[in-house]
Amino acid sequence: MSLTFRENNNIGFIEFDQEGSKVNLLTTAALQELDKILDTLAGKSSLNAVVIVSKKKDVFIAGADIREIEGITRPEDGARKSRAGQDILNKLEDLNVPTIALIDGVALGGGCELALACQYRLATFNEKVRIGLPEVNLGIFPAFGGTYRLPRLIGLPDGLTMILTGKPVDANKALRLGLVDRLAPQNGLDHHLNTFIADIRQGRVTSDKYARRKPKGLPAFLETSIFGQWLIFRQSVGSVLKNTKGFYPAPLKAIATIKKNFYLDRTRGLDTEARSFGELAVTAVSKNLIHVFYISEQYRKLNVEGIAPKPIKKCGILGAGVMGGGIAQLLSYSNIRVRLKDINYEALALGLRSAAKLYRDAVKKRRMKPYEAVVKMDKITTTLDYSGFANTDIIIEAVVENMEVKRKVFRELSAAVGPRAILATNTSALSVTEIAKETKDPSKVIGLHFFNPVHKMPLVEIITTAQTSQETLATTVAFAKRLGKTPIVVKDSCGFLVNRVLLGYINEAGRLLEEGLPAGRQGHSIVAIDKIMTDFGMPMGPFTLTDEVGLDVGGKVLHILEDGLGERFKAVETFEKVCAQGFLGKKSGKGFYLYKGKRVPNPEILPGHSGLCSDKTESLRRMLYVMINEAARCLEEQIVDAPGAIDVGMIFGAGFPAFRGGLLRYADSVGIPQIVGELGRLRDKFQAKRFEPAAYLLMLRNEKKKFYQ
Amino acid sequence: MHRVAIIDGIRTPFCKMGTEFRDLNAQELGRIATRELLERTGVDPRQIDEVIFGNVGQPADAANIARVIALLSGIPKTVPAYTVHRNCASGIEAAVQAAMKIQLGQGDCYIAGGTESMSNIPFYFSKELQDILTHLGRAKTLPQKLQTLIRLRPAYLKPRVGLEMGLTDPVCGLIMGSTAEVLAKEFGITREEQDAFALESHLRALRGQAILREEIVPIIPPPKYKLAIEHDNGPREGQTIEALQKLKPYFDRRSGTVTVGNSSQITDGAAALLITSEQKAKELNLKPLGFIKAYAFAGVEPHRMGIGPAHAIPRVLKKAGMRLKDIQAVEINEAFAAQVLACLKALESPAFEKESRYEGYCGAIDRNILNVNGGAIALGHPVGTTGARLILTMLKHMNRHNLNTGLVSLCVGGGQGAAVVLER
Repeated sequence: MSLTFRENNNIGFIEFDQEGSKVNLLTTAALQELDKILDTLAGKSSLNAVVIVSKKKDVFIAGADIREIEGITRPEDGARKSRAGQDILNKLEDLNVPTIALIDGVALGGGCELALACQYRLATFNEKVRIGLPEVNLGIFPAFGGTYRLPRLIGLPDGLTMILTGKPVDANKALRLGLVDRLAPQNGLDHHLNTFIADIRQGRVTSDKYARRKPKGLPAFLETSIFGQWLIFRQSVGSVLKNTKGFYPAPLKAIATIKKNFYLDRTRGLDTEARSFGELAVTAVSKNLIHVFYISEQYRKLNVEGIAPKPIKKCGILGAGVMGGGIAQLLSYSNIRVRLKDINYEALALGLRSAAKLYRDAVKKRRMKPYEAVVKMDKITTTLDYSGFANTDIIIEAVVENMEVKRKVFRELSAAVGPRAILATNTSALSVTEIAKETKDPSKVIGLHFFNPVHKMPLVEIITTAQTSQETLATTVAFAKRLGKTPIVVKDSCGFLVNRVLLGYINEAGRLLEEGLPAGRQGHSIVAIDKIMTDFGMPMGPFTLTDEVGLDVGGKVLHILEDGLGERFKAVETFEKVCAQGFLGKKSGKGFYLYKGKRVPNPEILPGHSGLCSDKTESLRRMLYVMINEAARCLEEQIVDAPGAIDVGMIFGAGFPAFRGGLLRYADSVGIPQIVGELGRLRDKFQAKRFEPAAYLLMLRNEKKKFYQ
Repeated sequence: MHRVAIIDGIRTPFCKMGTEFRDLNAQELGRIATRELLERTGVDPRQIDEVIFGNVGQPADAANIARVIALLSGIPKTVPAYTVHRNCASGIEAAVQAAMKIQLGQGDCYIAGGTESMSNIPFYFSKELQDILTHLGRAKTLPQKLQTLIRLRPAYLKPRVGLEMGLTDPVCGLIMGSTAEVLAKEFGITREEQDAFALESHLRALRGQAILREEIVPIIPPPKYKLAIEHDNGPREGQTIEALQKLKPYFDRRSGTVTVGNSSQITDGAAALLITSEQKAKELNLKPLGFIKAYAFAGVEPHRMGIGPAHAIPRVLKKAGMRLKDIQAVEINEAFAAQVLACLKALESPAFEKESRYEGYCGAIDRNILNVNGGAIALGHPVGTTGARLILTMLKHMNRHNLNTGLVSLCVGGGQGAAVVLER
């Protein structure tokens, strides 16, 4: 039993306490138990109030059971599930005693909808309180009446925002929105609850079923007039399309549903919700997003079993360039003291400038108070020598990508730091094992590869050598998580994971350009190739990405890959030529595109005319399958331990579209035999070894397996 | 009593008011010096018993600025902090507070320093305007509001300059420069003597620029974070006696001798010192720069405030059990050339020695051991900071030249003198 009912002083308490779990989930079983309790309550109108509480620490109800949603295969099943929940919550809403959700922690998804079905919501000052409807992240929307009740309760604009972004709010924001009626301290909660109930009974808390907040002025006009509402819906569609490029059906469907049920009575409104939900729940996008949710949760919570990470209070950073400066900002943002070292003040100034800019923008966008920006920025100090390094807990090296320089730096570091310090390198492709040879204690050396821009990209690759100790790994993993990043652990090898998989794709795009993919309506092959990938769902095309990263940087990594992995990574001539012409990408104003005024393709880069490739589908396959093939080799070489690491890496490190479920999940959906067959065909057509299917792929095909079983 | 060791110190460059540091407030300057001191000494912040800072223009947005500095610098929140104000001797007062606490056994590890951002000393509303604004806030109806506003006169909008108010003695009514004029007249100090002294300060400061780097943490100042400021910007390259002589007297236009050229500069800067008991220094394996041997303060007439050092020096020597001849290096803060010269004359005068009952503790100070790397006329005088800066500069000088004794002294607005004897 996960629900119990008890009465105390004429107040009924429905207590959620799911067995064998740290959190409560609104499972079908739990809902049925709730249903039974509500049936017995129907006859107890003498109660002063019914309070729904959780017995879990910091959790009210964390949401529905995702497995149940994952299991929906027919729209009717989805709609039925939705209706079943709706009916029970309606029963709760229709009780004729005051009902109160006492929220002392996370109330998400179904948990939030349950609270919405209560007449009143009392939250605590607990900083863990998070209330929201994150369903869109799973490719669905709230279907226990959430789309019906929330916009009515807190107003159309805020209601839409919460449902469409899926972002939960904290207790203070919830109070401001009218999502909760009052906040109470955790200490002496019983007393505050009793006061709240007394106030309700004496009519001192607004009891309007919906619309707790009374807007005034222009917002009121917008929210209450049909025209205003039409405008709000229209704007929402616009901003959703801008953010999702139409690849994600859930938010659009949510808008369409709310646009209907906002004007319907409860029965018909909820029916609309249930039917739309059923249709969404069976989409491939939803299944893919659920898959991504599972694997990203898995890596977000990664830890090294049995080993306690060491605390990290102070970090030294070597090199104040784009990466070093970005890392310094990220660390200071996470309240870690930073000693930033470079070889001259101009470099240090650049690092400080980029960090200060991020803080200034955050203040401007009101994501941070001015004083917070000062306190955080103050955590960065600069130096030209190794003073202040002796008592650091970790050093992150982000100097130029040159083995000789890195060797020298690690030799110096090894002498400058204390014995407990972890020495991490942010190299994107150089051998960590080689670098570690220069130190007194290679067990303390590890790779910590951030992606640019550091504050935005959620992934870090943690690279271990054969000597890296488990304690070093555990501490670094914990450190990455503390910075809000999702870590994947990669064995030291040429190019690690993300760059290795990604660079093959970029290079393939270069080949397509050399072969002269017909530009069609795009006017230039560069744009045409980029468009193939953005149409697939990548946030930007391969050439735009290369311009962002810098052609010199990309070229350098390609050379390292070619040296380590062979000729399939030999940079196409176009890259070498363009780089030699000084077109380095966005930073130099010119790359594959020109960046003065409106972005246009660089007219000095001419596509080839071989006519080998004229087909968009084949081009897309070449770019994707090269990646899949390389990813298979990485699994074969056991560079990562699971396909999940590759999908997490490609989604969060390279922007591979989440709605496709990740690179290898996508491969599974295409079918391994199809991919192997196509690779074979491409190998024969182009006489190119790079399309030779990896042994791992052949093994999967022969054993009739998939990447994910 | 425990012996008081000064382990190390660091200061920011000193920049003239309104120049490179105008966007760094006093707490930021103090934070930079304090944090760098922690970084360079490597001392565990948990070892620190208290943080004490001197500050004169105490900013409204950083009440108890020492506490603000301590927290921004990463000193644990469990470590208390307080701010001291003895006008121009605030920085020395902070160090003396630490010394006294160590001597009493109250604690054995302190950060003491001074900070001042004279660029950020605010302008004030006139009293009349303040009254009107207060009334306006309380007025409820529109007629009431209008009635209040109608009292407004253009003259009320004239701001009162905080810096000027701070530099004016409320008891004798003189601005600091005028007190220097009083001494110049009393001691017969000529314009030529003052200008020569000022020129020497600039020359010595320029010569000492490389040496002073030892005590300076370079700063890349916000909001632009463009250039690193590595040196004090007060010392003027190519300063000539002719240029100094051309300046008009600032405080007494007709018969005066004190000019902006022979007065200290108005400057931003901060300094921080790590002060421990000798025992604690041994425990932490820290090598002290030197020790505080004695300290003394003296009161004088407010309108003669610049004579303060002439009284504080004999007193501190007496406490230290030393004579002037035992002192190997001297720093007397150059608030005004006239005032330093007056002090030197007074100390040399047998009549002064006798009248003040300082027998045996007065005498001539060799100009070759006085302010050898320049003083506030060239380097600037961030009022709350200077005391700490003088101790730091002196200790570094003593270490460089292997000297055993040093004397630091300054005059204090309001009519005081402060002095500290340092030893190695």
